[in-house]
Amino acid sequence: MTDKNSAAPAIAVEGLWQVFGEGARNSLQKIGTQDTRDTAAKLQDQGLIPAVRDANFEVQSGELFVIMGLSGSGKSTLIRCISRLVEPTAGAVRIDGEDILQASDKRLIDLRRNKLGMVFQHFGLFPHMSVADNVAFPLKMQGAGRSERRARALEVIKLVGLEGREDAYPRELSGGQRQRVGIARSLAVNPDIWFLDEPFSALDPLIRRQLQDEFLNIQATLKKSIVFITHDIAEALKLADRIAIMRDGEVVQIGTPTQIVLNPIDDYVREFARDVPKGRHMTIGEVMEPVGDGPLAGEWPELRTGMSLEDALTQCAATFEAVPVKDGDGKVVGMVRPDTFVKALGAEAT
Amino acid sequence: MTLTRGTKAALIAVIVGVMCLVLQPYFAWLGKWPAAWTFPVNEWLSSGVGAILDLFKPVARGLSWLLAFPMDGASWVLGNTPWPIVIAATAALGWRLGGWKMALLGLFGLSFVLISGYWAQSMRTLALVFVSVPLALLMGLAIGVLAFEVPRFRGAVNATLDVMQTVPTFAYLTPLLFLFGFGPVVGLIASAIYAAPPMARNVLLGLERVEHDIREAAIMSGGTRRQQLLLVEIPAAGNQIMVGVNQSLMAALSMVIIAAVIGGFDDIGWEVLLTMRKAWFGQAFLAGSVIVVFAIVIDRMSATLATQRQHYDAKIGWIILAIGAILAFVVRIDPAEIALLDGVADVVDTSVGAFTAANGAALDSVKNNAMFYGLLPLRIGLDQAVLPFTWGFQWQPSYSLWFFAAAVALAGLCAARGRMLTGLTILLCAGILETGIADLPWPFVLVGVCAVGWASGGWPLVRLCAILLGLILLSGLWERALLSLYLSGAAVFACAIVGGLLGFWAAVSKTAWVILRPMCDLLQTIPLFVFLIPVLMFFQIGEFSAFLAICLYAIVPMIRYTRHGLTTTPDDLIEAAKSSGANTWQTMREVRAPYAAPSILLGLNQTILYAFAMLVIAALIGTTGLGQSIYLALGQADIGLGLSAGAAMAILALIADRLVQGFAEERRKALGL
Ligand SMILES: Nc1ncnc2c1ncn2[C@@H]1O[C@H](COP(=O)(O)OP(=O)(O)OP(=O)(O)O)[C@@H](O)[C@H]1O
Ligand SMILES: [Mg+2]
Repeated sequence: MTDKNSAAPAIAVEGLWQVFGEGARNSLQKIGTQDTRDTAAKLQDQGLIPAVRDANFEVQSGELFVIMGLSGSGKSTLIRCISRLVEPTAGAVRIDGEDILQASDKRLIDLRRNKLGMVFQHFGLFPHMSVADNVAFPLKMQGAGRSERRARALEVIKLVGLEGREDAYPRELSGGQRQRVGIARSLAVNPDIWFLDEPFSALDPLIRRQLQDEFLNIQATLKKSIVFITHDIAEALKLADRIAIMRDGEVVQIGTPTQIVLNPIDDYVREFARDVPKGRHMTIGEVMEPVGDGPLAGEWPELRTGMSLEDALTQCAATFEAVPVKDGDGKVVGMVRPDTFVKALGAEAT
Repeated sequence: MTLTRGTKAALIAVIVGVMCLVLQPYFAWLGKWPAAWTFPVNEWLSSGVGAILDLFKPVARGLSWLLAFPMDGASWVLGNTPWPIVIAATAALGWRLGGWKMALLGLFGLSFVLISGYWAQSMRTLALVFVSVPLALLMGLAIGVLAFEVPRFRGAVNATLDVMQTVPTFAYLTPLLFLFGFGPVVGLIASAIYAAPPMARNVLLGLERVEHDIREAAIMSGGTRRQQLLLVEIPAAGNQIMVGVNQSLMAALSMVIIAAVIGGFDDIGWEVLLTMRKAWFGQAFLAGSVIVVFAIVIDRMSATLATQRQHYDAKIGWIILAIGAILAFVVRIDPAEIALLDGVADVVDTSVGAFTAANGAALDSVKNNAMFYGLLPLRIGLDQAVLPFTWGFQWQPSYSLWFFAAAVALAGLCAARGRMLTGLTILLCAGILETGIADLPWPFVLVGVCAVGWASGGWPLVRLCAILLGLILLSGLWERALLSLYLSGAAVFACAIVGGLLGFWAAVSKTAWVILRPMCDLLQTIPLFVFLIPVLMFFQIGEFSAFLAICLYAIVPMIRYTRHGLTTTPDDLIEAAKSSGANTWQTMREVRAPYAAPSILLGLNQTILYAFAMLVIAALIGTTGLGQSIYLALGQADIGLGLSAGAAMAILALIADRLVQGFAEERRKALGL
């Protein structure tokens, strides 16, 4: 990256529209984009599909930016606009300050060869190539020599934990392994900006959790600027630095996981956050009161502002005495410690 | 009361039919399209197209001269390579493609060719295929890729491919004959042209079906368009493209053999034709078997290309080849002297002769019954077909009245029970049966077809039908077209019923499918031409033999699609029906059959196209109508007649295709598929 651009955000999206259908551009120009809702309604009346409506956001360098929304809300379309797999109808997309919508075909190929990487929901592996050839394909496009390609491919294959399978074909791999190949391929050219379109949705929950953890590990070492799509709130909260929530093509809220959970902007977002175990995503700092003249002297559990509610509760419960438990006739049959309680309810002691 | 589209269409047809019947005695032009209203289309085409083709003649002759080199080359190589090496090479290729099974198929297949005594002729045929197929594949690939890359062309290419599929095989030959002159090059080019469309279709289909994610992965890897296409999309579409290669090979083989009617090249097709003409059925049977064996070997081997293949060690392939080379040194027998199977031919000859002699009466009665009570009334109507000689009594005009009265009564009964459409259909059938397809008044056919078109595809289809049928009327080929319609219609009808029943049987009984499946596979592999041999053996030249040949060939899709439709009903639907208490037959009638309807209609569509394709070939053994005209035109190098009759045939096939497709589409939509 040149110095000039280092201050610019990795991705900047301004007033982006993607309208599908014949003559979309003309219609959009004619209608104008003053009022998003109004414009979208008019476009729909003409039989056009406004899949992305006036999207505005920035992704900082090294940030993990998650886009969330229901099926059909326009997430994939948005990411395809940014990578210019589809031609946006209006607006601007800047990558490291460069207006990518003005880029020539040649420049675009150049960017894709060197700077952008993408992982697909259905993997998009080339069925006629071995794992190593799949992973090396972007390098081949760069014009790298055969041995160099192979060496680099093996390196990334090792990174995603697929050592020893490099000469297998995609059809011989399990779903989780295939997506590892997809991830390896997108990392082969060491891109600065990484797009992932629901990379783990097609996988079963166990594999998904495992890959999420590995993904976080990879990201911790590589520190890429990432746009990650998911429709799973738990995944979003686990991974994201910031989350953008989309509905019907509109970005309705952008914020940190805590902001999204605690201050949903409307019922739609609240609905997403409903099933989230709040205790795990709220910190004790967010519920504490100002110090009054309460009994603060004495032995207390160690609470810190950054602690999650669950952790704090476990700590507090440990200070209580055991409580007797009686049967139907009032006879004492056992006892229970409050911290066992808390643990049984799902909070994990730290 | 609101009428469905189908009912309205049938009503219109009935009204026009009745009007024609009533008014025909007063206005003769209602019955037959007057000759004065036709245009000399044949002459125009002859001079017009002739002039245009004349322009291209030098280029064509140049091309012909050029193509003669690879053809003569291939022919020389195949002809002069010792046969052990050719056989070993085939077996080695089979090994590489599909292991021992294919190697043995190659070995036994070619060994059969060798001992049949038709080695030299077979190698000439093979040489033609070897040269024409690469041409066809290249053309097909180019067309397919172009259509994919330039979406504007796609519609046009698809329409052209559709039309090419319906143009009868012989019709290709006449203009080519004019352009390229007599000789094997015509067969070569005809087969290249004929074999290109399946390739183009499959390339386009394969490219369209490449997964979205795969396509985008190639883009995001930074490939240029050409890299995307060559390195990712075409290989990813590989299986579908290989299906195209297989179909292309089979089409080329079929056409090379058909092209033998031009003569001038002593290949295996010519051998069949010659022996058939001389009524040497034993030899014809033998030569036909060679063609079938060829077809099976080529088909099965190339079909392995489209499947997930294992890797078979190249070393063993080389070893097989080496054994062949050694044998070539040791065994030096001229293949022309190997005719081990002549005895078999003689046996076939004598036993067929004995069989026909012994069962001549039975065979004749089969034939006569089918003719007198089925084909003939359908062709010229009960009013003319019922004679003392055929039915034992003479049809009187009053019988027609009684006949119609009965039909009206039956139709009224149906209508009263709320089955209006059935009633109207009965009336239409009665009218057609009394009049005969060949004698149908043209306004009835025109309006009737348009009405069905309206029910099937709305006004655009009506317009298409009207224009195309109008063209046939104006060209003066109407009567011949009706004759073709009659024979193919009768065959399609028979195929639909018998094939439908067989398909149904195969759907309910595993054993049935075990028996039927290899038969279907075989029938679909055999080149068109060969179907003529067995029917000729038993029923001699004539319309009934043609009818049988058409049925044999055209019945397969009906069986396959019916079975497929009936067996692919989703399990949850069947379970839902079962849990509602439906028994097997109720499930079949209420759930499976409706669900299978689109598939069965597609089968019918294929059967119709197959029937038209065979109709032209069957002209060789005696049919009237367009097929005969096309065949005659080929013999006389009459471009005008060849083109116009070919076009008329294509028009009939195209209209039938569109009508049935329309209904299938509607059913699919209704089922939400
Ligand atoms: N090429 C296209 N042509 C027309 N409409 C399209 C096209 N691509 C997407 N759409 C429409 O745009 C809308 C948004 O689609 P998109 O694929 O972006 O949704 P998504 O949020 O990614 O959904 P999912 O979670 O199911 O992947 C949908 O209504 C879709 O039908
Ligand atoms: Mg999506």
